[in-house]
Amino acid sequence: MDIKTAEKFMEKLVKAGMEYGFEECEACFALDSSMSIDILNGEVSSYENSATSALSFRGLKNGQMGYCSTNILNDDSIGFLLKSAMENCEVLNDEDPQFIYCDENNKELYYSQLSEAYSKNTYNAFAELGLKLEKAILALDSRIDAVDYLTISCGTGPFLIINSKGLHSYRDNDGMSIMAAARATDSDGSVKSGGHYWIGTDIDEFDMDKFLAKFQENLLGKMGAKSVKSGNYKAVLTPEAFNQFFSVFFGNFFATPMQRGLSLLADKEGTKIASEVLTVKEIPMYEDARTKIPFDDEGVLTTEKAIIDKGVFATALYDLKSAYKAGRKSTGNGFRGGAGVSECPTNLIVEPGNKSFNELLEEVGDGIILTDLSGLHAGVNSISGDFSLLCEGYLIENGKKGRPVEQITVAGNFYEVIKEIISVGNDIINLPAGDGEFFTPSVYVGTLAISGDDSSN
Amino acid sequence: MFNDQDCLRILEQAMSTTADFAEVFQEVKEQKSVSLLNGQVIKASTGFDSGTGIRLLAGTNSVYVYSSDNDLEVLLKLAKEAAAAIKGNDKGQIEALKDLCRTTKSTIAIDPMNVPKKDMVDFLKQSSDFALNYSPLITQVASSIASSKRTTKVINTKGVNAEESTNRIRLSVETIATKDNEKQSGRVAPGTMRGYEFINEYPLIDKTRECCDTAIRMVNAGYAPSAKMPVILGNAFGGVIFHEACGHALESTSVGIKNSYFTDMLGEQIASSIVSARDNARIDGEWGSYATDDEGNTSSDLLLIENGILKNYLVDELGARRMNTKPTGCSRRQNYSYAPTSRMSNTYICNGESDPKDIIANTEYGLYATQMGGGSVDTSTGDFNFAVNEGFMVRNGKIAEPVRGATLIGKGQEILKNIDMVGNDLELSAGMCGSVSGSVPVTVGQPTIRVSSILVGGREA
Repeated sequence: MDIKTAEKFMEKLVKAGMEYGFEECEACFALDSSMSIDILNGEVSSYENSATSALSFRGLKNGQMGYCSTNILNDDSIGFLLKSAMENCEVLNDEDPQFIYCDENNKELYYSQLSEAYSKNTYNAFAELGLKLEKAILALDSRIDAVDYLTISCGTGPFLIINSKGLHSYRDNDGMSIMAAARATDSDGSVKSGGHYWIGTDIDEFDMDKFLAKFQENLLGKMGAKSVKSGNYKAVLTPEAFNQFFSVFFGNFFATPMQRGLSLLADKEGTKIASEVLTVKEIPMYEDARTKIPFDDEGVLTTEKAIIDKGVFATALYDLKSAYKAGRKSTGNGFRGGAGVSECPTNLIVEPGNKSFNELLEEVGDGIILTDLSGLHAGVNSISGDFSLLCEGYLIENGKKGRPVEQITVAGNFYEVIKEIISVGNDIINLPAGDGEFFTPSVYVGTLAISGDDSSN
Repeated sequence: MFNDQDCLRILEQAMSTTADFAEVFQEVKEQKSVSLLNGQVIKASTGFDSGTGIRLLAGTNSVYVYSSDNDLEVLLKLAKEAAAAIKGNDKGQIEALKDLCRTTKSTIAIDPMNVPKKDMVDFLKQSSDFALNYSPLITQVASSIASSKRTTKVINTKGVNAEESTNRIRLSVETIATKDNEKQSGRVAPGTMRGYEFINEYPLIDKTRECCDTAIRMVNAGYAPSAKMPVILGNAFGGVIFHEACGHALESTSVGIKNSYFTDMLGEQIASSIVSARDNARIDGEWGSYATDDEGNTSSDLLLIENGILKNYLVDELGARRMNTKPTGCSRRQNYSYAPTSRMSNTYICNGESDPKDIIANTEYGLYATQMGGGSVDTSTGDFNFAVNEGFMVRNGKIAEPVRGATLIGKGQEILKNIDMVGNDLELSAGMCGSVSGSVPVTVGQPTIRVSSILVGGREA
């Protein structure tokens, strides 16, 4: 199924939707293509190639928005989509109005960012790079037993929306990623695992030496790891750990959960909620992001803004529905997900500080570095902000990185942690998040409760 | 779906180079759901998806291509690309196709796909009406019913011609209690492969009351302590510990590449001698069941551990090739966009001898985890973690104050050996399990058990 065929179908569907009795209606179409290879034991162990598409229709009737989706685009589907969406409207009784939107000055929205480099992503190119990388990982150290996981993948995602108000919006993106993990045996016979990742848009920009250095640190740094005594520790979260941590609670910054009483940030816009060293911005067109997002899935233009400005909660993220309820304008954060539109960030950036990672350690003196957090889907209460998570890391001794630490938990509360950030590092990393990426540095947090084994030294 | 002749054309194309095995997997899935928040119907959706996956194997080399485009020419082109990418030595054979074998483990009296959404909404409203009037502390009630119908067909070069159909329905009720800045929830989420009669028979008000009570207890509770201590894990969803700490490490996904702490340990003592465990996909109507797996093999009731001794691994076709053994009928995938791999179904620790009351009475000091959240495990190191949604301290053999915010961590290989009491109150509980072949419905289960020592990560010293 190509975009042109889908476009014709969608125009027909929207017209049929209006004739069917919807007050307004909209169709969106997403086409995902991907390719990936896995490397195992010196061979390409697996190769995948795919093309999938999905069409979603939504229609407005008596203030209620009914949804239906399918991957089959033919005349029978039109009947199925309209009938199901109308049936869904009939059972809904949402008090808050919803909208099909089109900005009169921005009816035709088009943004293509498919890179020329994408054509370099071939089976042979991936296989050559993957095999070379596996060999290089194994050559890092004799204690490395095997590379359990090495996958190189790429994908593109054209996305089209057409609605009865005249919106015709097209956006796409592409990207590639490399992920690898290996295991190594420690001197006591215990097994350690670790790995690294890279995301980008051009295979030639992959820096293998830089990747290997970080890979080595992430895996072999764990050798000799043991627990620590329970207690309150000054802590540095690495950029990756802070990224994972902040992402889990980021839904609290969305307007809909606030309006439903499911976020403690309700009514806190304009007040201080975090340490003044913390500034978090949303920059939809951020230069360093591989995906730039000029408009959201409701046809609203995105804008650059601070979400937390020097500790003050500057604005929540709004889509059309939550913005109407709050009596303000959408912030351009209405994105499709599952059966519906809800708030979602584009590219988020935690503003870096001046200090390097090592300078943060010097500032701490004695404490703990947290590198990996596990169980983020389970060990958090995303509403209250309470968390208790399995983690790994290193001690900080006399301002320097000390011995590795494992089998500990870190517990606390998100809202207390963001108030207790003392310093922000200048070492930024990025990970995919929401519809874009999340850029984070390391942070120094005043104290965190660590549970460990009290028989440890 | 394609007819057999079209599937054979795809297989021929796939086998045109050096694959020794090829498989066509077709899937059609319909789903519908309604979601309520505080009695308002905020979401109602209907979906249809279909697609085809083509897998080629040459030894342990695999190629997987898939598409949602149901055009035969598109699939033939993909099969040709796949054939070009496979790295084998010789051209393989295609065996004659057997007669179609149709199976199901669903037991349906009332097909949920024919139940009007309004009936589902009316049912769920009883729950929110009850909860919002139960206590001023209950501030939100979210509930939903989601049902799906999935038909899959597998045709492969070994002559397999299998069609499986499954109907699943899942109910979820979550109540939230609020006190100052604190919010805690109680949740039930039963799932089944029975029909809508399951919903009609469900004790909704009793279960909603239990959710409210849990939420209210937890919002009033203090934090769990931080220390190593004996932990009693309640029955049913308490089995998530076995699922995470042991089950994943028995899948050929990790054992086949020697990335599991249970590699090469068949016949060895891996658990306390009072522990036996099974993975049984053949229970009629159970949420994690299936009659035929996603490779077209008959599912099994597999003894994993008997009196502490490791008896079987969970093995799929690719894993069997790596481990030089036979598949056990446990190959699953979320949908056609995933190549299948070894997965759990209904996995549980079998009943033991102890009365659950005696387990508590025999515990001087420890944590009693009555409701578990989710967790995860690293199968190479054994590091696991999981969250306790409702817990109580046990003092002098009696259940004492409720505590919140506990996470249990440890090494999978150690915890199994430290199970020192097994109850006789086995129950199963529905969940979703995520792994390399996506998210699949499973049940976890166990009787009440006690582990002599686990590190409880709480917030109080």
